[in-house]
Amino acid sequence: MAATPDLLFALRNNFYLGAFQAAINSGDVQNLSEDDAIERDCLIYRSYIALGSYQLVINEIDSSAATPLQAVKLLALYLLSADNKETVISSIREWLGDAAIGNNPILRLIAGIIFMHEQDFGEALKHTNASGRTMELYALNVQIYLKMHRSDHAEKELRLMQQIDEDHTLTQLATAWINLAVGGSKIQEAYLIFQDFSEKYQMTSLVLNGKAVCCMHMGNFDEAESFLLEALNKDAKDPETLANLVVCCLHLGKPSSRFLSQLKLSHPEHMLVKRGSSAEESFDRAVQTV
Amino acid sequence: MLTKFETKSNRVKGLSFHSKRPWILASLHSGVIQLWDYRMGTLIDRFDEHDGPVRGVHFHQSQPLFVSGGDDYKIKVWNYKLHRCLFTLLGHLDYIRTVQFHHENPWIVSASDDQTIRIWNWQSRTCISVLTGHNHYVMCALFHPKEDLVVSASLDQTVRVWDIGSLKKKTVSPADDILRLSQMNADFFGGVDAVVKYVLEGHDRGVNWASFHPTLPLIVSGADDRQVKIWRMNDAKAWEVDTLRGHMNNVSCVLFHSRQDIIVSNSEDKSIRVWDATKRTGLQTFRREHDRFWILGCHPEMNLLAAGHDSGMIVFKLERERPAFSVSGDSLYFVKDRFLRFYEYSSQKDTQILPIRRPGSNSLNQGPRTLSYSPTENAILICSDVDGGSYELYIIPKESITRGDTVQDAKRGVGGSAVFVARNRFAVLEKSTNQVLVKNLKNEIVKKSALPVAADAIFYAGNLLCRAEDRVYIFDLQQRLVLGDLQASFVRYVVWSSDMESVALLSKHSIIIADKKLVHRCTLHETIRVKSGSWDDNGVFIYTTLTHIKYCLPNGDSGIIKTLDTPVYITKIFGNTIFCLDRDGKNRPIAIDSTEYIFKLSLLKKRYDHVMSMIRNSELCGQAMISYLQQKGFPEVALHFVKDERTRFNLALESGNIQIAVASAKEIDEKDHWYRLGVEALRQGNSGIVEYAYQRTKNFERLSFLYLITGNLDKLSKMMKIAEVKNDVMGQFHNALYLGDVQERIKILVNAGHLPLAYATAKTHGLNDVVEDLAEKLQGNIPNLPSRSSSLLIPPTPVLCGGDWPLLRVMKGIFEGGLDNVGKGGNEEYEDAGDADWGEDLDIVDGENIQNGDISMALDDEGAPEEENEEGGWDLEDLELPA
Repeated sequence: MAATPDLLFALRNNFYLGAFQAAINSGDVQNLSEDDAIERDCLIYRSYIALGSYQLVINEIDSSAATPLQAVKLLALYLLSADNKETVISSIREWLGDAAIGNNPILRLIAGIIFMHEQDFGEALKHTNASGRTMELYALNVQIYLKMHRSDHAEKELRLMQQIDEDHTLTQLATAWINLAVGGSKIQEAYLIFQDFSEKYQMTSLVLNGKAVCCMHMGNFDEAESFLLEALNKDAKDPETLANLVVCCLHLGKPSSRFLSQLKLSHPEHMLVKRGSSAEESFDRAVQTV
Repeated sequence: MLTKFETKSNRVKGLSFHSKRPWILASLHSGVIQLWDYRMGTLIDRFDEHDGPVRGVHFHQSQPLFVSGGDDYKIKVWNYKLHRCLFTLLGHLDYIRTVQFHHENPWIVSASDDQTIRIWNWQSRTCISVLTGHNHYVMCALFHPKEDLVVSASLDQTVRVWDIGSLKKKTVSPADDILRLSQMNADFFGGVDAVVKYVLEGHDRGVNWASFHPTLPLIVSGADDRQVKIWRMNDAKAWEVDTLRGHMNNVSCVLFHSRQDIIVSNSEDKSIRVWDATKRTGLQTFRREHDRFWILGCHPEMNLLAAGHDSGMIVFKLERERPAFSVSGDSLYFVKDRFLRFYEYSSQKDTQILPIRRPGSNSLNQGPRTLSYSPTENAILICSDVDGGSYELYIIPKESITRGDTVQDAKRGVGGSAVFVARNRFAVLEKSTNQVLVKNLKNEIVKKSALPVAADAIFYAGNLLCRAEDRVYIFDLQQRLVLGDLQASFVRYVVWSSDMESVALLSKHSIIIADKKLVHRCTLHETIRVKSGSWDDNGVFIYTTLTHIKYCLPNGDSGIIKTLDTPVYITKIFGNTIFCLDRDGKNRPIAIDSTEYIFKLSLLKKRYDHVMSMIRNSELCGQAMISYLQQKGFPEVALHFVKDERTRFNLALESGNIQIAVASAKEIDEKDHWYRLGVEALRQGNSGIVEYAYQRTKNFERLSFLYLITGNLDKLSKMMKIAEVKNDVMGQFHNALYLGDVQERIKILVNAGHLPLAYATAKTHGLNDVVEDLAEKLQGNIPNLPSRSSSLLIPPTPVLCGGDWPLLRVMKGIFEGGLDNVGKGGNEEYEDAGDADWGEDLDIVDGENIQNGDISMALDDEGAPEEENEEGGWDLEDLELPA
């Protein structure tokens, strides 16, 4: 590997670990090549998207910006409101069909993300699996496979990632995800990965949630709760933290209704809410049939 | 070879280590004997009385003596404390080659070119035996370290072992006249009390040196046939065991190492060779470019050797004695002999974990140098110099430790240094390509990263700390970025504080403290080698040199905590206990008194509550502490340690504590001190005390002026009266001038006989009746005065009458009040001073006010002036008028 310094390392790393504001702050890097500058902008805008500042991203990216940035803008538009979905998807399909830009990894990545949001995994994989893949695309693949409950495929992807760079943050994260999905003795390893992250880098709610989930898998609900409360301190509205807290409190026999209603209010689309309500519906139906 | 000390001089022919002190004697071909401190690297003394080369020199084991023998046929016994030669033993008829003290009897053995060996009694200063038999120059003669034997080597190609048992018997039994007579005969006729026991023949040329093994019945000899021979002896005979070949020229000296199973020889072929004494194979050769070697010395107790050559000498060690160790939480992992051991601080339990590969015996100094531990994976990396730098990776088995000696199959690799950088990753420096290889626990390369600056060692730093030629830098393997760098010459050890915020970089003679980005904080220089260090919980760096345990505060202040007899390596610090590894691989807790540095640290961190409680509770004292406090700007703190009034006075002035200064000044009662008190009080505006001080020194001029500027007209007029009484015309006049009392001035001038002046005064002030009066007296001799009206010199009416001025705010700081309580027990004199209630204090001075009775009388006549400004409490009447 070349000895040229990796100037965007801190930015990328913070973004991957969910320290979005830190990522934005570490984006001030001098002497970047053109490609690196575009990558930096993408990461910063994606950080803003992750922070919910969709409109900012939409406003700042004008029509003259490079393709990857346009893709990021599409993502912002997609997430801004459900009304845009149709137009966004149609334009992304159109761009992907364009031979000149269709192979751009960031465009494909965004496409993958959008289709994953649409629960259209097949379509997502179609774009993420093409040749010329980046670490992020691999990581997205792992995520998609895990959503499809195909950990065998996810592990294959992971092996490819490990061949490229075993110590890459995404590789480590993907390892932890797969370990969590597989469960059993692998949980310990996942925990160590999150532990490493928390020692080396900022404690983000992603890392804390990761540790907490590991703890829950291992039955240490007390410890998990302390991690989750720490995460809640960092971001009181983080849906994952709330969802995990609900689960954790249930196991500890503590009241969880407040977390649940908070989650319902802020994130009505969250998996836990949806499942809960569908279960309630089924229950109601069952009651009616009796 | 680890060179500890090197000198440049004339050819060194004789060497001797002191058994206790870090001293070595070197006798030179020029006739000078040098005494060196090899630890400090200084020449302590030189003895220059021999005429011509001095070939033999030897320290006495317990007395402050040494003996030397030279080409002037003289044996001299010296006392190094008195810096002089005590006496000279004469008898040899040719050059003297070696001299040596006996370890318990008051004997000296000497070998000479006159073909004899002589044994001398240095107490009676006589020759007690002459050992004849060699038929050529005797090059060397040495006592056996325990038995009654002497070994000698001669150019007659033999080595002889002499039995001196009967000599010993003779000295032990009371000597009667007959015996003494026979002894005298023996002296004449070649003696019978020392007989040749064995003659060892085997060398083909003259033998230069022969010496005994310290414990075994072995002799080693070196000769002009370029061979080293090992001989064994029993009660009945002695025989040649083996020959060590390798030297290319005459072997000049050879001896058994006192602590290792090796033989060291040196030769005129400009090399020193180290041999395995059991396997009898050459282990190592050290060559010099131009210098032939002549002599070797072995320290009787420590692992030190010395060699003399054509242009000086070297003191050296063959093997490093520092155990490799790594601290992790409550545990210490270290290597002792060929085992990895584990020490738990809390229980002080020392257990053997696993055997490690035996360091290659085919060369020296290949033992483990550094050790790195990964707690999560329970893995150990041991680096050594084997194969020009290599590492071994061991995984500590989870099950209980196996007793067997089966060496675990360690994963090995070549590399400058290796260190864990993450849970399951370690970095190996590949010097040839200047790359860092990151490997996993399977010893597979995960990543390679080129370093921006050529490095010769790497250390742990969260990331990597790399040592380049004249600097160290922190390199982030993932970002491939240099995060910080710092100029530092050859850093040997790196010690991080437990929070990884501070790092100490230890070099041979310096310590650099920096933060985690390698921003320099302070540098300490030591004259003695720095050995080890560790951070205590308060952020104080505790380190050891060869001779001391010392501390270094975050601001770079350092000091000695404790003196050490033997070097130790600090591993961890718990409060007042320092855990060390010694050179034998034993863990030792050492209790230290941390009061001093904790006190200084508290001062530094401005934790004055701590400082105060420490002052209250402990017996911190000493001149050093006082001057430290003064130097650091805390005289007020120092004040509380001092009993000596003069020092107290000085400190009180420095800290502006007038009360204490007054109390001390009273105790001392010297003019100079009162004066200085006055100056300080004036600076602060405490006019009451200024007045008091001036009164005590009877400094009327200053006092008057003080009253003038404080507007105390009553006292000023009183001063005038005092001056009058004292017949101090000038003083009187001054006071009158200050008061603006023209009448009085005229009166004074008249009394002093300055009528024209009096007239002029009266005239200018328009006192016409007086003018007439004076004109009469002057009888026409009236001075001609300028007629134009002039402004008159009248002192302004005082704005403020009496009392103290607004006081200068004195930084009493945090210690105000708090410390005053401290003194209450012991120091009454400043207790009442602290109250600042001067009304009472005046009684003290009452009796000893101005002693001039006349004044009191005169003033008495005047009657007590009206009392005002009671506020100040410094009423003059209290002071000066006996009630």
